[in-house]
Amino acid sequence: MPVFRFILQRVFQAVLVTLAVTLFVAFAVRLTGDPAVMLTAESSSVTEEDLVRIRDALGLNQPFYAQYFDFIKSLVTFDLGNSFFRGSIRDLIGIALPSTLLLAVASMGISILISIPLGIHAALHKGGFSDQIIRVLSLVGLSFPNFWLGIMFVLLLSIAFPILPASGFETWRALILPALTIGIILTATNVRLVRTQMLETLSQQYVMVARAKGLSERSVIYKHALRNAAIAIVTFLGLQFGNLIGGLVVIELVFNWPGMGTLSIEAIAQRDYPLLQVTVSILAIMIVAVNLAVDLVYGLIDPRIRVA
Amino acid sequence: MTIRQTFLAKAALRSALLVSCLAMAAPAFAQNTTLNVAQQQDPQNLDPIDTFRLSWGSIGSNIFESLVFRGEDLELRPGLATGWEFLDDETRIRFTLREGVVFHDGEPFNAEAVKYTFDRLLGAEGSKGPQRSNYTSIREVVVVDEYTVDFLMQRPDPVLITKLAGYGAMIVPPKYIQDVGEDAFDMKPVGTGPFQVVEYTPTVGVKLAKFDNYWNGEAEVDEVNIRFIPEDATRIAELLSGGVDISMNIPTPSVETIKQNPNVDLVAVDGPTVVLTRFNTAHGITADPRVRKAITMAVDRNTIVQALLGGLASPISSAQGVKSFGNDPELEGYPYDPEAAKALLAEAGVATGTEITLDMPSNDDTFREVAQVIAAYLEQVGLKVNIRTHEQGVYFNDIIENGKTGEIYYYGWGGWTFDFDNTAYILYHTGERFNPYVSDAKLDELLDAQRQTYDRDVREVALQEVARYAHEQALDLPLYNTSTIYGVSTRVEGFDPAPDDRARYMNVTLK
Repeated sequence: MPVFRFILQRVFQAVLVTLAVTLFVAFAVRLTGDPAVMLTAESSSVTEEDLVRIRDALGLNQPFYAQYFDFIKSLVTFDLGNSFFRGSIRDLIGIALPSTLLLAVASMGISILISIPLGIHAALHKGGFSDQIIRVLSLVGLSFPNFWLGIMFVLLLSIAFPILPASGFETWRALILPALTIGIILTATNVRLVRTQMLETLSQQYVMVARAKGLSERSVIYKHALRNAAIAIVTFLGLQFGNLIGGLVVIELVFNWPGMGTLSIEAIAQRDYPLLQVTVSILAIMIVAVNLAVDLVYGLIDPRIRVA
Repeated sequence: MTIRQTFLAKAALRSALLVSCLAMAAPAFAQNTTLNVAQQQDPQNLDPIDTFRLSWGSIGSNIFESLVFRGEDLELRPGLATGWEFLDDETRIRFTLREGVVFHDGEPFNAEAVKYTFDRLLGAEGSKGPQRSNYTSIREVVVVDEYTVDFLMQRPDPVLITKLAGYGAMIVPPKYIQDVGEDAFDMKPVGTGPFQVVEYTPTVGVKLAKFDNYWNGEAEVDEVNIRFIPEDATRIAELLSGGVDISMNIPTPSVETIKQNPNVDLVAVDGPTVVLTRFNTAHGITADPRVRKAITMAVDRNTIVQALLGGLASPISSAQGVKSFGNDPELEGYPYDPEAAKALLAEAGVATGTEITLDMPSNDDTFREVAQVIAAYLEQVGLKVNIRTHEQGVYFNDIIENGKTGEIYYYGWGGWTFDFDNTAYILYHTGERFNPYVSDAKLDELLDAQRQTYDRDVREVALQEVARYAHEQALDLPLYNTSTIYGVSTRVEGFDPAPDDRARYMNVTLK
């Protein structure tokens, strides 16, 4: 079963990458500063003895391999362990991970829904008026910093016309502005990608053949051209999704969205080793997993890859 | 169809409500009132002994109480203790406890709870957190009878009574903690205060509900919903859009926007934090007191406060604000006098164009502007200032602690105790963690001596003496005392701004 071996190989690779990341993170984070000092930074009467006491209580005086082993054990058992200051890490991840995924999926969804029809339209009317408009808009979208667009949305739709909440995450309405912000920014890139890929496939000989044998235009575009263009699009979207999960920090901050980015930043600020290790490892696992999924989806889209 | 039906039902209800409102124009329906508050930081842990953050104070002060109460006027009053007296040559402090107080879980407040609280703080659990070190002057708490406890002192601690009014000294329930465990207590603690915790969601917020059996009156609102919004622009947007009624931690650049909004008021009060630049008194040209004096005289603090900080700060002459115990109103800072500064520099043999370095943490946008203004002022007297920024953790725990600063460096500090002992000890006592350079026998003696007595008059004289000596030696350049600024919706009444960030919501009403 070549497919099976392919998957197995990929999973094995993914595990190796993840292990390497955890080892690196666990090692690197310990070079950045002392959590006991951070914890007492605002205290006026801390003695060296107090710091030793805190380090002991946090388990920082154990050798590195013991601390690393505890961390891996907590990862493998899904227990995730305890943060230095904030209790169970699983509870924290339980809020942050779903909210990040929700935001990432929603904004990717918005972007796909807009960019595929627009991209196809632009490709079919290359050089026409609507193509020009789409390209200009996409350029405008590319030049916006995402936080600026987010703040503009808030000013317009929360303060000037108070229709949507400026931040928060407890109602579905609060999802609209952040998802729209990222969705639009992503669309600016994706629409160009779809357009280019479609232009390329539409100029292939098999498209000419398909048209020559009298297939409907609809069938030519969606069954032949789009499906062939999809390989590049899916690869790109997969990478984009990976980036998105780790790169939502700014938008999370603007809309006060309690995601993984915010959690990692807070963990870094306080040198909360256990929490930082877990968040970075989870982000790494997610990115590896998305790449794996992209590889597997190729087979679905393109039977030629399935066989090979 | 259920969704559709509820939707219709809601619409019907809404129009009915609208009609009745229009008809009567009166609060006809008994609805739960919720006060929405935004604050910048998540304390990350609600257990009083696990945190040192001001962000805990604005939540915890509504949930917990301690033996001593200190309100918005900073006066110390009886809290859960009705009184206290010093016995046995001030080695024993006897507290008489209030009767009839219960915790949110129904557990009674008594001498056992007080003993448990301090045993926990000074024992293994307290060792994991940052609060313990503030209370190590207490040797032991002894139960005398159900409503009397004795604090046996290890050494005199003149600031103890103040410290008993806050943070680590909050009284916690023994039975509840033993039942639910320490981890559960971190997330859903129980106290004796006017509000109880309904739910704490990390990084999102905390919901509080009125505690019906509170001993000292009743909260006006039914619920308080405190949200954590770290990003300044977002917090302000929520305040301006009516999403929150009170926003803490208003940054200076947003002040103008808020002033222009008719629905939001700005409430400011002198806070605990003072901002100064300190001198490297050990190395470089600033080892010479004349150079330090010259630099101090070259910078116009009043202009910085007025022009840059919009007047929302007060100039200071020592490392404390006017509310601080130990502040000497008679002490005047060096006047702004660039000519005299130039003369002093010349006298000290400092050549025009000499380069010096100012170190500061990179995340302080307000001070970055202040630093640039200071650099401009010093340029005028012939000193060229290079501003160097560092990540905050690195700045405090390496650059300052290990004495790697340039000639001038930023220091911001504020003890919530409002007692100069806190700041002065850190700044001037030999060998303190954040004091890499100053070592002076006279200062050490003054600081140590005032820690040996409970006599407030003696202490005040000593602390003022410390401030005056630091001024004479120009050990630092005191800049300003920052205001604690709240943005408050005009719907809100009865909000008394707390200088120490320990906002209390019990008396707040909503229009």
